[in-house]
Amino acid sequence: MISRLDGPNKVTGRARYGADNNVPGMVFGHVVLSTIAHGRITAMDVAAARNAPGVIAVYTPFAPLRLRTPVSPFLGATWVPLQNTDVAHYGQPIGFVVAETYEQARDAAMLVGVSYDERPALTSMRDGLATAQDAPPAMDGAPPSLAVLAPGVESIEDALAASPVVVEATYTTATQNHAAMEPHSAVAVWESGGLTVHSGNQGSDLVAAALADALGLDLARVHVVNPFVGGAFGGKGAASTPAFLAAAAARDLGRPVKAALTREQVFTATATRPATVQRLSIGADEDGTLIALRHDSWSSTTATPGFVEPTSHGTSREWYATPNVAISQKMVPLHVPPTTFMRAPGEAPGSFALESAIDELAVALDVDPIELRRRNSSVAPPGKDLQWSSKHLDECFRLGATRFGWAERTRRGRADGDWLVGLGTATAMFPALRFPASVRVTLRDDDTAEVATSGADPGTGLLTVLALIGAESLDISPERVTPRLGDSALPPGGMSGGSTATASAGSAIMIAAPQAIDELLALASGPGAPFEGAELSYADGRVLAADGRRMTFGEVLRATGRRSIAAVGSSAPGEEMTKHSFSSFGAQFCEVRVHRWTREVRVSRMLGVFDAGRIINEQTARSQIIGGMIWGVSAALHEGLEIEESGRPANGDFASYLLPVNADIPDVDVAFVQYPDTLHNPVGARGLGEIGVVGMAAAIANAVHNATGIRVRHIPIAIEDLLD
Amino acid sequence: MRPFELTAPATVDDALASPGTFLAGGTTLVDLMKLDVLTPHRVLDINALPLRGIDAGDGLRIGALERMSDVAAHPGVYPVISRALLQSASQQLRNMASIGGNLMQRTRCSYFRDVATPCNKRVPGSGCPAIAGANRMHAVLGTSDACVATHASDLAVALVALDARVRLVGADGERTVVLADLYRTPGGTPEVDNDLRPGELISEIVVPRLDWATRSTYVKVRDRQSYEFALCSAAVAIDVRDGRVVDARVAVGGVATVPWRLPAVEAALRGAPATRASFEDAAAVAAEGARPLSANAFKASLLPRTVVRALLEVTEGDRA
Ligand SMILES: Cc1cc2nc3c(=O)[nH]c(=O)nc-3n(C[C@H](O)[C@H](O)[C@H](O)COP(=O)(O)OP(=O)(O)OC[C@H]3O[C@@H](n4cnc5c(N)ncnc54)[C@H](O)[C@@H]3O)c2cc1C
Ligand code: SF4
Repeated sequence: MISRLDGPNKVTGRARYGADNNVPGMVFGHVVLSTIAHGRITAMDVAAARNAPGVIAVYTPFAPLRLRTPVSPFLGATWVPLQNTDVAHYGQPIGFVVAETYEQARDAAMLVGVSYDERPALTSMRDGLATAQDAPPAMDGAPPSLAVLAPGVESIEDALAASPVVVEATYTTATQNHAAMEPHSAVAVWESGGLTVHSGNQGSDLVAAALADALGLDLARVHVVNPFVGGAFGGKGAASTPAFLAAAAARDLGRPVKAALTREQVFTATATRPATVQRLSIGADEDGTLIALRHDSWSSTTATPGFVEPTSHGTSREWYATPNVAISQKMVPLHVPPTTFMRAPGEAPGSFALESAIDELAVALDVDPIELRRRNSSVAPPGKDLQWSSKHLDECFRLGATRFGWAERTRRGRADGDWLVGLGTATAMFPALRFPASVRVTLRDDDTAEVATSGADPGTGLLTVLALIGAESLDISPERVTPRLGDSALPPGGMSGGSTATASAGSAIMIAAPQAIDELLALASGPGAPFEGAELSYADGRVLAADGRRMTFGEVLRATGRRSIAAVGSSAPGEEMTKHSFSSFGAQFCEVRVHRWTREVRVSRMLGVFDAGRIINEQTARSQIIGGMIWGVSAALHEGLEIEESGRPANGDFASYLLPVNADIPDVDVAFVQYPDTLHNPVGARGLGEIGVVGMAAAIANAVHNATGIRVRHIPIAIEDLLD
Repeated sequence: MRPFELTAPATVDDALASPGTFLAGGTTLVDLMKLDVLTPHRVLDINALPLRGIDAGDGLRIGALERMSDVAAHPGVYPVISRALLQSASQQLRNMASIGGNLMQRTRCSYFRDVATPCNKRVPGSGCPAIAGANRMHAVLGTSDACVATHASDLAVALVALDARVRLVGADGERTVVLADLYRTPGGTPEVDNDLRPGELISEIVVPRLDWATRSTYVKVRDRQSYEFALCSAAVAIDVRDGRVVDARVAVGGVATVPWRLPAVEAALRGAPATRASFEDAAAVAAEGARPLSANAFKASLLPRTVVRALLEVTEGDRA
């Protein structure tokens, strides 16, 4: 276990994030947002802003910066600002004021007057349900609605009707904003016909491609740099409004431009996790064996439908052994801020519904909730032949139950003075994925090595993991490896998302490193080289000959007059997908205390036990999981973007969009059961960036029920939900 | 933020001589200036004025420029004051914010803070979107059809329970006002928060001596454990002898447009046995007259519960 390599830079403030870059001659842009949710802009009065001190330019749909809509196979079309007068949500970027100083730009932006032709806006999920539409196919191409039925069973309704015990309930989850610590920002610099953009994102090569597309540039002329990213969580996958506008304005003005959203603007000018409504029906035998599982889901999305939260596809489709399962996914187009991926998209809100419903079944049957889950553990997703490659969920629950003191749980919780205490648990799962990734491994003549990829480390610990896997693959100590990432000039590392980066980049390193070593051996045994004609092997950073002679790779390079040797390795999901199903697993536990009189819910203990294959670096792995579990507390008890009927967010700032503070979070206990999963990838590691958040909200709601007897079927849970 | 002129008077006379907006810790004022809610042309930084000192000899006298953190930490202040302060804002804010500024802080109503929306308090006559909008945090007591915003100060609730007074200095001289009388419910003029005259400066807060207020507390119920405003709060002080309540002070926050004293609850407590049952009986009238809005009806239930909890906590160990 080693400490995060970027830790010292981050805690001392030396890490330079996108907006920390200052270049000579730089000017500042401030974004103007719409104050209606639906309609057309008829006019914008920019005279006062244009005449304000220091103002250089005011861009609007009437005087726009030309941008084309970039389309990528991965993200689809990315919306670009200012290209027309349509307004589709409150807080949509509609203008960009550039001035000599940040303050001048911001103050002038307040002077822009906007006239609208306002149209009725549909902003409420409840009102929109009536006009819900089928969602597009899921990420894996599955149709929005599907059923797997046992032979002879006509419909899921029949299967439910034939079940001795049925629980049925509807659950709702709130819209959330990623609220990353680093607001979306960019510094754009044009130099000798090329564009460099410093901007925090989840994949510099993807953002470079989007900017090249939008600006009509050759990709080779666009350079995106993001060595440090202040949190992303899915919200920085696509190129951001500040990146598009800063790049285009810098070209227009011939000066470097810095643009950053304010904290308040982030809530509407980026994207959110959709709100969901989910109806669950579970039919079971008296002993708790599932007979039928039905999960119907509705997700909010933008007026021109965008991302849909796949809550049933992400959970009920795969989690339990059941002979009959039926899922559906609808979307509710609304005039609300854009929707996109957020940590565990589908699984996080989906597991709140499914894992609450499983708890309701346990209560109905009076069976221990862990025992109920064990009885219905699956060896493969229902209706699929491909078994889980490596599944140790039962062990996670066993270990967790002992460590957490689950045996002391009673059906009705217990009281401690004026506090009602309850325990809850839930399953967590997140698919193990890989994306295509390329990594360059370089051996240098000073006996150090470099491992480089364009991918991003948005706080996940990828930088440290690159060094560790690089060191392991080259059989040298990690201190001798310099990891590099966050630069589109490096081999394409793809997106840091989907909990894929360690498995994807790690696999690529394991391809690149042997190639580099092969080249080293060829060089060492080549004509005129120190080991000319010899049979060579490699270990411990050294070239070894059969006669016992040995040289470090640096010595070989120096002796042959080479500065370095490099090889690029690429990996992508492949054959393994036809042989097994892959997922990470976890068991979440929590204890809550609810005040008898005033009904505040406080989480007093939390534990997560995870099966995510091999753990490359326990410290960064634990951090990822802890962050995820805390986010689960936040989703359960605090967080929710409330959209008013007008489309305005009622709580779009950090004073009212509640996130837990330190006092809300107890010690978080994390444990791993480690079974390397080399059926999935040669590294043996499955993703764990997202699974920490999965299941936590349900575990809390289940604990609240245990403490109070009150079942709350929506999150966030508030005090008033527990008052009579 | 609009351009403004900043001066820093060195004496109270200088501060009163030139009209302008007082800047103490700036944690409300600068915030609202950045949001374009307040647009003063002249700002007077009053931090150099000699409005300091905490004197706990006979009752309490606290200079208006004393920081929230210093007052909270002073051994001579009653527990209810210290606890109200320690549950306010964050340590960083408490280090900056003055207690004069705290009493004059503006409402946290999100429409008041957003110039893209109407608000009668900010722009008289423009309307009150909270009444039909997001009003979970808003008041149920002391409201009018023009405004339903809460007064957000925790300290003010504690001080009102203790019958505190404020000393004011203005161009026309000095006066002392009971704090509870300084605040105004919105009525038809929600733009007026209080009876402070233009240019008048709070110089000192005076808390009359109340020996039994050493048994006092502040309970704040909120959506997270720290750094959040009250959904409901209760400041209580109680004098219990031989298992009976001799006297009590009860004021509540988070539920009313001004710091809200509950004389009927105090009256019901006086002479009653110090038991949970009589606390519940007394608190039952706490929410009388409440006018719930679409999303805050729960406050009518939370309010008596908060009062009972505070009474139970402060009498722990000496209840009958
Ligand atoms: C994020 C956040 C959370 C907060 N949470 C809480 C909370 O939980 N509980 C709580 O009670 N408060 C809370 N507050 C409010 C905070 O307590 C006040 O902002 C602070 O007390 C104001 O004091 P100040 O010295 O900074 O005032 P300033 O901002 O300097 O001034 C505020 C107002 O008072 C006027 N003023 C200042 N001093 C005087 C004087 N001596 N005489 C006359 N007028 C004067 C100013 O002109 C201005 O109008 C919070 C604030 C923030 C920003
Ligand atoms: S409640 Fe008061 S402060 Fe809030 S919008 Fe209405 S008038 Fe303005």
